[in-house]
Amino acid sequence: MPIIVNLDVMMAKRKMSLNELSEKVELTLSNLSILKTGKAKAVRFSTLEAICKALECQPGDLLEFVSEDEKAKPD
Amino acid sequence: MSKTDNILFIILQVIAWIIFVGLSIEAGGLIVNFVFSIFSPDMLPRLYNKLDLTGIFDQSSATYYGLYSFILIISLLKAVLFYEVIKLTWTLKLDHPFTLTVARQISTISYFTLSIGLLSYIGRQFAKQVERSGFSTGSLDVFWNDSQAFVLMAAIIYVISAIFKRGVELQDEHDLTV
Repeated sequence: MPIIVNLDVMMAKRKMSLNELSEKVELTLSNLSILKTGKAKAVRFSTLEAICKALECQPGDLLEFVSEDEKAKPD
Repeated sequence: MSKTDNILFIILQVIAWIIFVGLSIEAGGLIVNFVFSIFSPDMLPRLYNKLDLTGIFDQSSATYYGLYSFILIISLLKAVLFYEVIKLTWTLKLDHPFTLTVARQISTISYFTLSIGLLSYIGRQFAKQVERSGFSTGSLDVFWNDSQAFVLMAAIIYVISAIFKRGVELQDEHDLTV
């Protein structure tokens, strides 16, 4: 999947744990974990809005597009 | 899910069990018939369906074994088919039906149904050929007179299984939407 979710990066920047975020956005830990590990197939705008509010960031800070070619390139 | 649906589902489960038991008895009876027809043919009038093919056996043993193979395989497949239906009714939960297991079971049922249909059709053609050679196979019509119905049913079940597979995909997508 070329869309990468940078939720863990933003959580680290804001020094917020998954439990704390889960309480703030009223999402279950398992759902947040699905989002954090990149297993999610879709994200609702309402979820995105709640996370952006809790982490004080923009949707662009959470989502990143990396094409398959770029991923395949050696570092 | 409404109470009526629940009751209907239980009734269907019971009907599937009754048909399975009936078909198993039929298949068992035919196997016993087959064994007795080889080792003790004089017992045949007292056995299931009084199916006596010893006349054919006397004329040609190959034809006899061919016809009996079709009869036994078809009746066993019918019993297995209803066993699969029972398995499906146990796995299927009406409040959360779209699972990969259920989709696979529905496809298996369609393959069994198609096999029964095709084997019945081939069996019927074989019996017709045998009849042209002077054998009497009229009593065997009950075993393969519904071949077209089985093929049609297989096609319908296959379409349902394909729709079900798409349903499973949609369910997965829904489950992974945060």
